[in-house]
Amino acid sequence: MLPIAQNELVQLFRNRAVLVTSLLMPVAVAAFFISYRDTFTRIGSLGYVAAVLVFTIAAFSLYATTVTTLAARRQTLFLKRLRSTAASDVSVLAGLVLPVSIIAVVQIGLILGVFAAVGGGPSDAVLLVAAAVAIFAMMLALGIATAGVTNSPEHAQITALPLSLGVIAVATWVGITGTESLTMLKRVLPGGAATELVVNAWNGGAPLTDSLLLLGPTLGWVAVSVVVAQRMFRWEPRR
Amino acid sequence: MSTNTVIDVDGLDVTYGDFRAVKGLSFQIERGELYALLGTNGAGKTSTLEVVEGHRKATAGTVRVLGSDPGDRAAVRPRVGIMLQESGFAPDLTAAESTRLVGRLSGREDSVDRVLDLVDLAHKADTRVGQLSGGEKRRLDFATAVYGSPELLFLDEPTTGLDIQSRDALWEVVHRLREDGTTVVLTTHYLEEAQQRADRVGLMHQGTFRHQGTVSELTRSLPAGIRFSLPPGAPTPPAASVAQGDGTYAIETFELQQDLKQLLDWAHTHGIELDGLSAAPTRLDDVFRAIGADSTAS
Repeated sequence: MLPIAQNELVQLFRNRAVLVTSLLMPVAVAAFFISYRDTFTRIGSLGYVAAVLVFTIAAFSLYATTVTTLAARRQTLFLKRLRSTAASDVSVLAGLVLPVSIIAVVQIGLILGVFAAVGGGPSDAVLLVAAAVAIFAMMLALGIATAGVTNSPEHAQITALPLSLGVIAVATWVGITGTESLTMLKRVLPGGAATELVVNAWNGGAPLTDSLLLLGPTLGWVAVSVVVAQRMFRWEPRR
Repeated sequence: MSTNTVIDVDGLDVTYGDFRAVKGLSFQIERGELYALLGTNGAGKTSTLEVVEGHRKATAGTVRVLGSDPGDRAAVRPRVGIMLQESGFAPDLTAAESTRLVGRLSGREDSVDRVLDLVDLAHKADTRVGQLSGGEKRRLDFATAVYGSPELLFLDEPTTGLDIQSRDALWEVVHRLREDGTTVVLTTHYLEEAQQRADRVGLMHQGTFRHQGTVSELTRSLPAGIRFSLPPGAPTPPAASVAQGDGTYAIETFELQQDLKQLLDWAHTHGIELDGLSAAPTRLDDVFRAIGADSTAS
């Protein structure tokens, strides 16, 4: 796994297009949200801004980059090449997504760190980490699944868009309007319960037991995403 | 299965939906052999090869490679080198990085410099794969396959896109590996390569073997050919000769030497010079054409 991850990292930094669109753009968007945090806090809350930051990185740095990377590696038959070696499927896949995952984790760590420094830190850091891990796991698995229906890196710009924008839209809707109305619907949408979890973790005030219950639908989405990824992912281009 | 059997395929079936691409195929390949798996287009050889390489699961039948299930990569792949039909390299990695990566993942020990030198790519070690020519990528492909001198080597269309020097160099490396006991499975559209190099040939058509055996066994199944022209006013040639309608005659024979001598004796006796005389043993090309003609007729 590690040799694959190491080479994947090299490729990531040699491909400026991927570097800019998938890694620098989300940081720019995050910087925008942080600089206008007072405005966004008036619309929602600090927790809402934190949720949007987490989902921006998860949707673009992690999810979209995973889709693009895997589609590109399959299109060039690099996946088949790696499967011609002694490496297992799990280690091939893990090696390919490890660099973008680590970069996304570092990004969100730094971004939330800056946000906490300028706007005040989270009430429950452990809960925040749990929520972020669940969101990243869900988006990573969804990225692997979406790569299954993505023929090329260019095609990824179309296939990755609905979910990228969708989860940010859900995070925005739930973050701004809360879950007092349409509670069930908002919590079962992908990212809905996770957004509420981030908001609670950052703002505080919600009983821990209530927050922990929100982990249910969040982990449910993680499980669904993993199953969908297992069914949809393809190792070779369609003939 | 003997202890010398490297590949053992028994009753292999591969289906795609309702289409049965491979139909009950059975064959064995022994240690040290160079076995050419050939076939007409759509014969099922790619499907067969993918199962044997471990890239695809068999629909039915059993396949053992080096005594193991070919899907058991941890057990099989450290002993197997695979040259895919298409390159499959990351364009942003250099030739050396690509070789090192595939080499490390193969589980075999070797030197990147050594294998790149084998295929005359040492001077391109730091060039990104995306900037290599088609032939250079093919040679890189070969370099990764022979990394660590595997016991079993799959060569899928290995010389496609290579110039004659590169082909010769590739076959020289294969020759040296075989001297050390490597078993080779070859697929190629260059039938003369299979004819020259293969110990045995499996010739597939419509999902099954139409012929399997040594090249001479295969070519002996069809008659050799003698072609010649006669000057105007020449007497009727020996009985086996068949006029082709364009002034030439053909003799199809399983006794090439004997019938050729008879023809030359006849020409000598009558003082006739045979224009355009040619005598050729049956080639794999002829066996292929015969299969095509059979399926057209049926």
